Amino acid sequence: MHRLNLSDTRHLVSRTALGQEWAGVKALEGKTRAEAVSILLHSGKVHTPGIPATAHWSKLDRMRSNNGYGKHNALMQMNRDNKSMKAWMVKHLLSTRTPVNERMTLFWSNHFTSSLDGVEHPRLIYKQNKFLRDNAMGSFAGMLKGIIKDPAMLVYLDANKNIKGKVNENFARELLELFTLGRGHAYKEADIRAAASAFTGWGADLHRGTFKFDASKHENKPVTFLGVRNITNGNQIVDVLLNHHRTAEFIAEKVWREFISDNYHDRRYTQRWAKVFRSSNYSIKVLMLEVLNSDAFWDARYRGNMIKSPIDLVIGTLRILPFAKLPYDDLAHTLELLGQDPLNPPTVKGWAGGKNWINTQTMLVRTSFLNKITRYSGSTNAHLSRRLPKTTGMNVVNWLSPVTPVLPLPTTPGKLRLVRALVLDPTYQLK
Amino acid sequence: MNRRDFLKYASLTPLAGMIPSVLANNPHNAKILLLVELKGGNDGLNTLIPEHQQAYYDARPKLNLGLKNKNNKLRITKNLELEKGFYLNPYLKELKPVWDQGDMAWIQGVGYPDADRSHFYSIDVWNTADPLVRNTNGWLTKKGLLPSEANTLNGIVIGDDNMGPFAGKNGHAVAMQSPRTFLRQTKYLNRKRYKPQNDSLAHLLSTQNQINSAADLLQTKLHQAPRHSTRFPNSSFGRDLQQVSNLITSGVHLPVFKVTLAGFDTHAGQVDGHNNLLYHLGGGLRAFQKSMTAAGLWDNVLVMTYSEFGRRVAENSSMGTDHGSASAHFVLGGRVNKGIHGKEPSFENLDNGDLIPTVDFRQMYATIAQRWWRRPNPWAREGYKPLHFV
Repeated sequence: MHRLNLSDTRHLVSRTALGQEWAGVKALEGKTRAEAVSILLHSGKVHTPGIPATAHWSKLDRMRSNNGYGKHNALMQMNRDNKSMKAWMVKHLLSTRTPVNERMTLFWSNHFTSSLDGVEHPRLIYKQNKFLRDNAMGSFAGMLKGIIKDPAMLVYLDANKNIKGKVNENFARELLELFTLGRGHAYKEADIRAAASAFTGWGADLHRGTFKFDASKHENKPVTFLGVRNITNGNQIVDVLLNHHRTAEFIAEKVWREFISDNYHDRRYTQRWAKVFRSSNYSIKVLMLEVLNSDAFWDARYRGNMIKSPIDLVIGTLRILPFAKLPYDDLAHTLELLGQDPLNPPTVKGWAGGKNWINTQTMLVRTSFLNKITRYSGSTNAHLSRRLPKTTGMNVVNWLSPVTPVLPLPTTPGKLRLVRALVLDPTYQLK
Repeated sequence: MNRRDFLKYASLTPLAGMIPSVLANNPHNAKILLLVELKGGNDGLNTLIPEHQQAYYDARPKLNLGLKNKNNKLRITKNLELEKGFYLNPYLKELKPVWDQGDMAWIQGVGYPDADRSHFYSIDVWNTADPLVRNTNGWLTKKGLLPSEANTLNGIVIGDDNMGPFAGKNGHAVAMQSPRTFLRQTKYLNRKRYKPQNDSLAHLLSTQNQINSAADLLQTKLHQAPRHSTRFPNSSFGRDLQQVSNLITSGVHLPVFKVTLAGFDTHAGQVDGHNNLLYHLGGGLRAFQKSMTAAGLWDNVLVMTYSEFGRRVAENSSMGTDHGSASAHFVLGGRVNKGIHGKEPSFENLDNGDLIPTVDFRQMYATIAQRWWRRPNPWAREGYKPLHFV
C-alpha cells in the first residue's frame, strides 16, 4: 500500500484547508490515502463566533424609508457594519480550528452567493454564513431546501418582487442556472417562468429577519416544470431538481474545478462522483471522500497547477508561518484589493477564481503584501526562527512549494532566509 | 518643422529600437481615449439642462436649474445656451470655451433597455457591454479592438482601481495611484525570467512581464519628461488628470487612460454636491484640454464621460434624485464634431419615471472603435451603429 510522503500530504492539506500547517502535514505523513483523507475530513465541532455589534435590520429599514438623509445615514451605518463583518470574518478565518470545514463553507458561499452590498442587511449575511458553515459537510439536499428560504438569499435575488401577476424571474433563474442544473443544461425559459410562478409570494420578513410566505401574493396555479405537471409551490420545484441527474453532475463538476483543476474537467471522474453523490442522498462528506481518494486528485499533472485565492495567500500564509499578523480590518482591506472582499462577492456567480485572481494590479498587491509580512529585523530574527519547524531545508522546500521553485534559492544558510525566498518565489502563488 | 508637426510625425514613425515596444505597438497612431467615469450615477438632466421642456420644471419644482426658477440663485444664464434650448450646467462653464471652439459634443438619451438600477450591476453592464453580464471581460478586450500581444500595454487607470473596461485576459492595463507609487511598488516584483511549468505559472509570468515593461516605459519616459506649465485644479480629480497629462506629454501614448470622479449618487441635498462635482469635472478637463493643446496633442485625444445610469426625472422628497436610466454624456477633443447628438428622450413616455434611452451605450463604443480607432465595429452584428460625434 502506497504511503504518503511530505509533498503528498502538503498537496492534500493545502487544497482542502486554510494553509498547510506544519503539524497537520506532518501528522498525515506515512499514512495511506484513505487513512489520511478520513482523518482530514473528521472535523471537530464546528463553531461560528458571535456576530459583531451591528445595527438591527428593522432600524436600518426605518432609516432608509424615512427620507434621503435617512437613506444616507443608513448607508453610513451599513458601511461601518459591513466593515466589522469583514474584520469578523478575517478573524475567524485566522483562528478557526476546523479549517477544512471552513474551506467547504467558502466553497458553498461561492455557490449559494449573496453579498453584503447586494443584501444591505449585514445580520442576514451573518445568518446565512452560519447556516452554510453548519451544513458545509452535511447534506446538499438539506442545504438547498434551507437556502431557498434563507432571508439574505431571498433579498439578494429579488424574491420579494416576485408576486402574483408581476413575476420576477431572478430567483428562479439563478436556482436553475447557478445552484442546480447549470447554464445551458436541461431547462428552457418556460421552466424558469414555471419555477418563478411556483415561488411567487416567497420572501423575507425584513423586520424579523426570517422567511415569509404571503399567500395573497402567490399565483397558486399548477405549472409544468421540467416535464413534471401540477407543481404549485417552491418546495416541489426543489424536489424535482433534486431528482434530476444534472444537479449532482453540476456540483461534481464544480468540485472538480475547486479541488482538482480549473481548466477543464474529466467527465470519467465527475460522472462517477455525481452518481455516488446522488445515491448517497447528496451527502457532501461522501462526495468529498470520493473526490479526495480519486486518482485524479493525486495525479501529478494536476499538482501545483492552481492559483492560490487571496484567502489562500493571505490567511494561509499567516496561519502557517510565524510572521506578525496585521490588524483584521487591514487584512480585510488587503483581501478586497486582491479581489476577494470578504462576504462580498462581485456578482451572483461569485468569484471566477483561477487565473482571474491575477492581473497587473493584484499581482503588485500580492508581492508587496508578502514582502511586507516577511520583512524582519535582526531582533525578531531569532524569535521567528525558533517558531519555524525544526526540520531540514529540503523539507521546508517541500512543505512550502507545490512545484520546484523557479528562482535560485539563497546559498547562505538560515531558515528564515530560506522561508522568505520560498514565499517570494513565483511558485508560492500556486497550490 | 514646428513642435506640433514634429510630434505628429514622431508618433507616426516607429523609430525601431528607440521607442519601447509598448509604444510602437499602439496601432492607433496616438489616438488616445481618456475615459472619465462619473461614479454613482450622474444626473444628466442637471448636467445638460433641457430648459425648453416644461416637463423638466414640473418634475423638479425645487431642483431645476431653469431660467424661470427665480428662487434659485444657481440657475443657468442665457450665455450658457449650447443649442435649441439646451444649456450647460453653470458649474461646467469652464467647458463653454471648448464648446465654442467646436471641440465638445453631447450625446443624449444614452443607456440600455430595461436598465438595472443597481450601481454594481449596471456598471458591470457598461464595463462588459453586455446587459446580461455573461462574463466579466471588459468591452476594451473585444477581439480586434486593441493589440493583444503578450507584451503590449494598452492602458493606465489612475486613481480609482476599477479596471472594469480592461478586465479579462487581453486587457493589458495597469492601475496606479500615480506613476511614482507604481514605480515604487514594482521594485519588489521579480524581474528574472523563468521557465513556466504549467499554464498558471505562465499566466503569472506574463503578468509580471507586463508590469515590468510598463515600469520600464514609465521610468524612461518620466525621466525625460518636459516641464509642465498648465495649472491643474488642486483636487484629487485634478491631480489624477495631471498625471494622465504628464504621461501623455512625456510620450506615453497608450490607446486608453481612465480616471474616475466619484460621488454622483445624489439621493439627498443634491444641489451643492452635484455642483461641486461638476465644478471639479469642468475645471479638471479644461486644464487637461489646455495642456494637450499646448503640447500639440489635442487632436490625438478623445475624452468621454460615462456613468452607470442617469437619475429619475422627478426629484424626491429630500432635495435629491433616485437611480434612473438614460442620461447625457459628453466627449471632448480636437477631432470632435460639435453638436448635440442622438434623439432627445421623451418626457411624456417614461418607464417607471425614468427616461427611455434613445441611444444605446454600445453605439458610443462602436463610434470609438470605428470612427476614432478605425477598427472594425465589434457590435456591428448586434446592430449598434456608430454615431458621428467624432
